[in-house]
Amino acid sequence: MTADLFDRELLKLAWRNLWRNRRRTLITVAALSFSVMLVQAFHNLSFGVYARMVDSGVRAGSGHIAVYRGDYASSRDEKLSFDPGPLPAEVARLDRVERVLPRVYLPGLAQSSRESRGILLTGVDPDAERAVNPFLKNLPPDRMLRTPDGRDAILGNRLLKELKLEVGQKFVVTLQSRGGELVSELFRVRGTVATGIKDIDQSLIMVGRERAAAMMGAPGEIHELAVVLTDAEADRQVGPALEKLVARRPELHVVPWETAMPNLANAIKLDYASQKFIFVIILLIVTIGVINSQLMSVMERIREFGVILAVGATPGRLRLLVLTEALVLGLLALVCGSILGSLATWYLVAHGINLQTFLPESLEFGGVVFEPVLRAVWDLRWMFQIALYVLILCLLASLYPAIKAGRITPAEAMRHV
Amino acid sequence: MSDDKSAVENLPESSRPLIQLADLTKIYPHGTQKVTAVIGLDLSIEPGAFAVLAGPSGSGKTTVLNLIGGLDRPTRGTVRLGGRDLGTLSARDLADFRLHRIGFIFQAYNLIPVLTAAENAEFTLMLQGTPKPERARKIAALFDQLGIAGLGDRRPGDLSGGQQQRVAIARAMAAGPAVILADEPTANLDSKTAEDLLELMRRINAEQGTTFLFSSHDPRVISHARRVISLRDGRLESDQRQNS
Repeated sequence: MTADLFDRELLKLAWRNLWRNRRRTLITVAALSFSVMLVQAFHNLSFGVYARMVDSGVRAGSGHIAVYRGDYASSRDEKLSFDPGPLPAEVARLDRVERVLPRVYLPGLAQSSRESRGILLTGVDPDAERAVNPFLKNLPPDRMLRTPDGRDAILGNRLLKELKLEVGQKFVVTLQSRGGELVSELFRVRGTVATGIKDIDQSLIMVGRERAAAMMGAPGEIHELAVVLTDAEADRQVGPALEKLVARRPELHVVPWETAMPNLANAIKLDYASQKFIFVIILLIVTIGVINSQLMSVMERIREFGVILAVGATPGRLRLLVLTEALVLGLLALVCGSILGSLATWYLVAHGINLQTFLPESLEFGGVVFEPVLRAVWDLRWMFQIALYVLILCLLASLYPAIKAGRITPAEAMRHV
Repeated sequence: MSDDKSAVENLPESSRPLIQLADLTKIYPHGTQKVTAVIGLDLSIEPGAFAVLAGPSGSGKTTVLNLIGGLDRPTRGTVRLGGRDLGTLSARDLADFRLHRIGFIFQAYNLIPVLTAAENAEFTLMLQGTPKPERARKIAALFDQLGIAGLGDRRPGDLSGGQQQRVAIARAMAAGPAVILADEPTANLDSKTAEDLLELMRRINAEQGTTFLFSSHDPRVISHARRVISLRDGRLESDQRQNS
């Protein structure tokens, strides 16, 4: 009870001490709050951008989770196809699964009457793909593949140009079938897509899945079963359920998007690592500022600390006073910084940052197109964590000043001018 | 806090004399030199004394006061207060000893500027863990006794020198110490205020039996003291009792 009473008094004394030098306290709190805001807002912005990249990447690529046969994810060996059987329908029935996309990938050669180019023939289910694939988002309905077994083809815009083709014209795709034979098929350009990703725009030919599988010599088989989820967090629930479904087929493996699309995952990891480094630098600079301000505050009060010790306070109580001042300072920064961080995040969620003025052309990052309007997402747990880190840093930064205060000897301190 | 209290409660209560100095020596390092502030001082001060350590600047008055108050450690010799050898106490026990047994009054008042007069006066009571209502009651009574009733809410900066020194006396007295050590308490005060304060302390000494030990070269303080202990160059020059 008595300790509690004095602790409240200590808090009151610490609060008043902080406002002795109003300007210094305001500058320190402002620096701390600004750094909390910067770290919170930029983290939220980065995660917003990453979330969009992942969303765009998984929809055009492997899905949040993919099913492959053997080591297809790393080897891309077109012989590793499999008959999906009832699996797509079973997966589609799982909770939080938005869409299931069976795909066939076959490297080959495309020839027009004037040019030939190396291509990747991608066999898709037109309706399912149209619903989620961002590459097909802006394609007019009359330019979309009509059936899974037809001769319609959608080409990347660069490939179309390089083959000197136009919509409606015919071209031939030649590839090696499962039996080692060269197989050629005639297709007609139905539409064209501009993904913004050079490699894709130069090599993509999207056709009906059944037609592609037939060319491969394995009708009905696929290379990839891409599972797009309702939200990125759903993988923790859907992943195990999917594992259970494919357990009866040991040749099949469930692979998360990070493994299926290592370029995207690594690009995000690298980008976030560099951001974390900047966050650490910001927090380090602010910590040095807090050490400086707390040390100055202690040095200015040496005589007063001598008196406090003389009248019976223990060095421990004095250390506690300095740490309590840091705690109050940190709490102020935590509250102000989090308010500023929330306001900044709100703006970045609602309006975002439009880079179109600076970057008129779309940018490719980690194998996906980088949208020119950057928008944040709320990551409340991180925001709380970073505010807590700053509070802890404040206390750590005050350890040295607190130890220094505790080492003051009263007789010497009272001789101090 | 309760452990600290018991350390003090276990101290012998009825030791006589109250303060005993034996072969007290304090040497300060000063660059490569050593400065002897006090050398071989033997002295006893009885409970209820109203005594002054007198002498010119540099005679060792403040050093002796600091050693008696446990603010500094002697180079040689012992300080016994209430029968307890201060040299045997740890820093923590010494702080606790000061809190419960010694009151300090300083030349420059040394009140904490961010606390009000009442909060300054009750600071030692807060350290002792005395509940707020009891603290308020004690301080109100003390302020009344010291003639500063009604000034409790003012900050030190809003008080005159005399008023600040009265608050400092209240702070020194609040915890009920065995002895109050006052280092040049009138040095910053005008004659009238100094005279009033000395009268006040004399009255407290007479009515409550509180022991006062001053360090001063102020003739007014010396004239009020019943015992004048003169120091010169860190040694005892004379020890006289007088009717004041």
